[in-house]
Amino acid sequence: MSEKSFRKPYNPPIEATWWAKNPFYFRYMLREGTSFAATFAVFEILLGIFLFALSNLDAPIQTAKTAAPYLWWVQSFLGNPIVIVINIAVLAACLFHAVTWFSLMPKAVRVFMNKNSTDRLPDYVTIIGLYIAAAVGTVVVLGAAFLSLP
Amino acid sequence: MKHNTPEHRSDEPIYWLLFGAGGMVLGMIFPAVLILLIVAGIMQPDLNEGLLSFAHVKSMLGNWLSSLAIFVCVSLAAWHCMHRIFHSLHDLRLPATKLAWFALYGAAACITFVALGLQFLIYCKLF
Repeated sequence: MSEKSFRKPYNPPIEATWWAKNPFYFRYMLREGTSFAATFAVFEILLGIFLFALSNLDAPIQTAKTAAPYLWWVQSFLGNPIVIVINIAVLAACLFHAVTWFSLMPKAVRVFMNKNSTDRLPDYVTIIGLYIAAAVGTVVVLGAAFLSLP
Repeated sequence: MKHNTPEHRSDEPIYWLLFGAGGMVLGMIFPAVLILLIVAGIMQPDLNEGLLSFAHVKSMLGNWLSSLAIFVCVSLAAWHCMHRIFHSLHDLRLPATKLAWFALYGAAACITFVALGLQFLIYCKLF
């Protein structure tokens, strides 16, 4: 900036709990909060990968001793009732995120009927397409996991 | 201030793309992943049998395609979460400083490189 600014904007004081009073704002902050829930899931998976890497992968025959770090994660950590409850809450948060994310998508991405028209694809087509994609993704992940069971 | 010149191009589109892709991953893939984690926690798999047993995860991380898929999902979700936490700092009346930007996006970068390093190490060992 070349010149000194004499602008003195008035910033009205806002409490940190501004969103708690209005249900619309509360839902907005709840939606923002789903990112914290998903962060937990990310760290949980990363911990599992880390502990798998700590296990003795070079052992010719795996025993409960060589795989102890990973077995702690899958049995004691994931099996802990508190972690199961948190995981169910994170699952609910992910589903809430999915519903709101899919319904805001037509506002963020404009899809035209064809390249010579300015008519937009109806919102519900985009949203239904995303739900179908989510269903396919869920089926693929669960199918891949259960079909690859040793 | 000059904007939109080559020297002052914003880097925001990169983070926005990662955020958008991460949102799709969280909405489409993560519900199924969390179902797997919950079921594994309840079923208590052991060394060779059951969902997410040691042998099962060994086959997942020993396969380049599924390992790559796990890496992409985890790192994109991390970028999405950190982007959104940074932008909710203002809503929580916390200062959205450059330091917070480096801390949060740095955390996402750390998660990405740690996951990449660990999974590459595991893949090389199991190869």
